[in-house]
Amino acid sequence: MAGSEALSGGPTQRARWHGVAERGSLWGLRFTIASYRLLGRRLTLPLIRIVVTYFFLTDAPGRRASLAYLKRVHATEAGRKALGSSPPGFRHCFEHYRTFAVAIVDRLGIWIGNGEGYTYDSSGIERFDQLAEEQRGAIIVGAHLGNFDALRLLAKRMNRVVNVLMYTDNAPLINSIISELSPDAEARVITVDPNSVQAVFAVRECLRRGEHVAILGDRVEPGKKSRVITVGMLGGNVQLPQAPVLLAAALGCPLMLMVALCDGPGHYRVFAEPLAESVKLPRADREAAVKELLEAYSSRLEYYCTRFPYQWFNFYDYWGEFGAADEPR
Amino acid sequence: MASRDEILAWVTGVLTEEFQYTGEIQLDSDLTDDIDLDSIDAMDMTVRLEEKTGLSFKEEELKSLRTIGDVVDLIDGRL
Repeated sequence: MAGSEALSGGPTQRARWHGVAERGSLWGLRFTIASYRLLGRRLTLPLIRIVVTYFFLTDAPGRRASLAYLKRVHATEAGRKALGSSPPGFRHCFEHYRTFAVAIVDRLGIWIGNGEGYTYDSSGIERFDQLAEEQRGAIIVGAHLGNFDALRLLAKRMNRVVNVLMYTDNAPLINSIISELSPDAEARVITVDPNSVQAVFAVRECLRRGEHVAILGDRVEPGKKSRVITVGMLGGNVQLPQAPVLLAAALGCPLMLMVALCDGPGHYRVFAEPLAESVKLPRADREAAVKELLEAYSSRLEYYCTRFPYQWFNFYDYWGEFGAADEPR
Repeated sequence: MASRDEILAWVTGVLTEEFQYTGEIQLDSDLTDDIDLDSIDAMDMTVRLEEKTGLSFKEEELKSLRTIGDVVDLIDGRL
């Protein structure tokens, strides 16, 4: 491993994973961590279920988004197989929320419990072994699908540092919480200020050391002048950020898709797939080349959504079909 | 040894050929406001200029760049 001495301060901070309670406040995050520490997994799960049920009951836009998504999944053959033949309703929505509760607890288990008690099968991760031999890093693009934090388990196995690139207005606070949780450093957070070149240079340094850089590629950060591309997914159009593809192109590194999906208590299936060995964007039609790669990404997300429908954790108007009132949280 | 004019031509070439930039490029053109480069573009341009010049730039050197003239000065100072 590259060691725990590198990269203190600056945009890259020693840290574990981010994003446990995107829907809750930082207070909620601290509370959840404290309860996990105090009560352990078995007692935390019912507690989180109560919290998530509260959200389910009070969060009409979230429920609406969940249902709209599940209907899209149900419109596919694989989706109907996974969800059952009856059209998605209240019950399916509740199951979606309950699965989110499990995901939160598993994230805690992976952070705090250091992955103890979690097992996984993987496919496609041999590519990372090859990259390790070549001393090369990759851009890993994930999604709010399954448990991206399971990447930590993989980082441990690979004996490789994985850095996660995240946009946040709360970087110092979130990082302070994350550092509390992480005495070692298989995974670190690089925070992004869109007006600064610092983060992209930090990414380049990581790749040069043979470390990987992970980005969640399924959400466009609100309020940023970020470049997006419209692609098809589950029968509608969605907007995806171009950043993962552009970064891989600029830095000449492979672009890998990775998702970790729960298929039983404490057990994950980790899928790694190369999206591009090297990203070449022809001068004449850069945009079309970016779009092609992001179409491949979205079609893989669609594939996994229709097999593991309850593990898609974007509880907002993802397809932009409800009008302006419902913003991502 | 390249002259400043040659360096400016390199930088202009990268912007017009690789980034399809069609506007006017002058020494006082602002990288963000006039040329509309974002941070990923800046990295892209850095990598290309490094390939072209054989130099390697550090983050500290690049953070203070504001205009095309700054880029030319940086390369000129290092070549």
